[in-house]
Amino acid sequence: MSRPLARLIGTRLLLSLLSLFAVSVIVFAVMEALPGDTAQRILGRDATAQALTVMRAQLHLERPAIERYGDWLTGVLHGDFGTSLVARRPVLPYITAHFSYSLLLAGIALALHIPFSVGLGLLGAATRRDGPIDSTISAAALLGMSVPEFVIGIFLVSILATTLGWFPPLALIDQAHSVPAVVSTLFLPVLTLNFAMTAYVLRQTRNAMFDVLRSDYVRMATLRGLPRRHVLLRHALPNALAPAINAIALNAGWLVGGVVVVEVVFNYPGLGRLLVESISFHDVPMIQGSALVLSATYIAINLAADVATMLLTPKLRVR
Amino acid sequence: MARRLSRTALFGAAVVVVYAALSIAAPWLAPHAPDEVFAGGAFEPPSGAFWFGTDSLGRDVLSRVLFGGRTVLLMAGSATAISVAIGGALGMLLGLRRGLADQVVMRLIDIVMSVPPIIFALLLIGALGPSALLIIVVVGLLFTPNVTRVMRAATLAVVGEDFVLAARARGESGAAIVLRELLPNVAGTLLIEFSIRTGFATIFISGLGFLGFGAPPPTPDWGVMINEGRSTMDASIWPVVAPAVCMALLVTSLNLFTDGVARVVDRAAR
Repeated sequence: MSRPLARLIGTRLLLSLLSLFAVSVIVFAVMEALPGDTAQRILGRDATAQALTVMRAQLHLERPAIERYGDWLTGVLHGDFGTSLVARRPVLPYITAHFSYSLLLAGIALALHIPFSVGLGLLGAATRRDGPIDSTISAAALLGMSVPEFVIGIFLVSILATTLGWFPPLALIDQAHSVPAVVSTLFLPVLTLNFAMTAYVLRQTRNAMFDVLRSDYVRMATLRGLPRRHVLLRHALPNALAPAINAIALNAGWLVGGVVVVEVVFNYPGLGRLLVESISFHDVPMIQGSALVLSATYIAINLAADVATMLLTPKLRVR
Repeated sequence: MARRLSRTALFGAAVVVVYAALSIAAPWLAPHAPDEVFAGGAFEPPSGAFWFGTDSLGRDVLSRVLFGGRTVLLMAGSATAISVAIGGALGMLLGLRRGLADQVVMRLIDIVMSVPPIIFALLLIGALGPSALLIIVVVGLLFTPNVTRVMRAATLAVVGEDFVLAARARGESGAAIVLRELLPNVAGTLLIEFSIRTGFATIFISGLGFLGFGAPPPTPDWGVMINEGRSTMDASIWPVVAPAVCMALLVTSLNLFTDGVARVVDRAAR
C-alpha cells in the first residue's frame, strides 16, 4: 500500500471515531431535552415528592449532565447500556437480538440488490438508447425513486399478502423456525427495500455505460469485430462500475434508515422498530442504545464504502 | 436542442404549479372540512358526493387529500427553502474564501452527515414533541450540509474565472461578488437543489408522519393518512390510495423537472 493512501485511510478512520463520539453526545443531549427526568418516568405522574427525591438519589440524577454522560459512555464501552425503564431489564440483550434481525434483513436485501440493479442497468445500456426496453426501465426507475418505501410496502402487503395470501402480512421472523418460513417472512420486506434502492444504481450504471460506450476504445473494440456481449462485459462494464459502486455504497447507508420504516410497515422485530417503539414509551436507555448502535452501523458502512473507493481508485493506488 | 427544457420537464413543472394552485385554493375547493367527522358513512366508496370515498371516521378523503397537500407542500417547501438559503449562502462563501474557515466547516459537515438523518429527526421530534414548525426546522437543517457541499463545489468551478478575478481586483466585497458574479452562474445548480430536495423532503416528512412523528392531528398529512388507513385497507383502499398516488405524482413531477434542468445546466457548462 502506498503511503498517501495509508494516510488517507488513517485520516478517514480518525474522522469516523470523531463522528462516533459526536453521535454519542447528540444522542445523550437530545434525551436531556425530554420533559421530566428518569425518576419521574419510572415512578409515573402521581409520585410523591419524597419518593422522587429518594429515586433521584439512587440514580445519581442530582449530578450534572456531563458527569452522567461520562457514566453512560463508560458503561456503553464496557457493554452496559443501562436498564430499560419499561421492561426493567438490561437493554443490551434486546439490542443484540433486534440488531441481528435487522442485519439479516438488510444483508439479504443488499446481497440481492447489487446483481439485480447493476444487471438491469446493463440491460438498459445493452439495448438501443431511448428504445422501448431502455425507456421502460428508465420510467420504472423514476417511479421507484418517487414512491416512498412505506407506500411500496403497504401495497405489496395489500396485494401479495392480504388479497392473494402468498406471503404473511407481518414479518414475524422470531416465530419462523424453518428455512421456507424464514424465506416467506423475509420476502416482502426484502422486495420493498429493493424496490426503493434499485432506481438510483440502475440509473448510474446505465448512464455510465452509455458514456463509456461512446469512448474510442470501445468503438475500437467494436470495429475489431469483437462480439457485442464481449465488448459490453469486458471492455465497457469495468470502466462504468465506479459510479455504480458509489451508488451502492450510498444505498447501503440509506438501508439504516430504510429498515426503520420497513420494519414498522411489516412489524419486523428489528432495531429500527425497537427505536420507534422506545421513543413512544420514553424509554430513554433503550432509545439511546438503539440510536447509538444504528448510528455506529451507519458510520461503519460509510467508512467501509469510502475505504473501498479509495482502494479501487487507480490514481491513489500507484505510488 | 438543450438550450430549453424538455417536454417532460415542462410537464413536471406544470404539475407542480397545479399542486400549488390546488393547495392555495383548498379551502374553497374542498367540499368538506378536512376534519369533519361523519360527513358521510364510514368507508363509503367513491361517489358523486365523495369523489375519493370516505375514511373510517366518515371524513371526506378528497378534502383531506387537498388539505394534506397544502400541509406537505408548505412543510416540504419551507424546509427546503431553509436548507437552500443557508446551504447556498454558506457554500458560496466557503468556495469563494477558502482558507481555514472552509476547512473547519467542511470537517464539521462531514461529522454532522455521519448521523443517519431519520434517526436524528426521530430523536429530536420524539424528545421535543411533534409540531409542524419543529419538523420544518429539523428537516431544513438536516438537508443543509448536503446543499452546502454541492453549492461549494459549484462555486469552486466558477471562482477561477476571469470575471470573478476581475471583480476581486476591483476590490469588490465578498457579498457583492457572491450576489453579482457567482449567483447568476450557479443559479441553475441552486434550482436543481431546490427541486430535488423538495421531493426528498416530501418523502422524508411523509415518512415521519407514517412513523407517527408527523404534524399532530387533526392536521391532515399524507403520511399520517396512509398510516391511519392501512389497518383498514380491507374495508376501503381509498384512504391510502388517494394520498399515495398524489404523493407519487408530485415527487415524480419534481424529479422530471429536476432531470430537465440538470440537462440544460450540464450542456451550458460544456
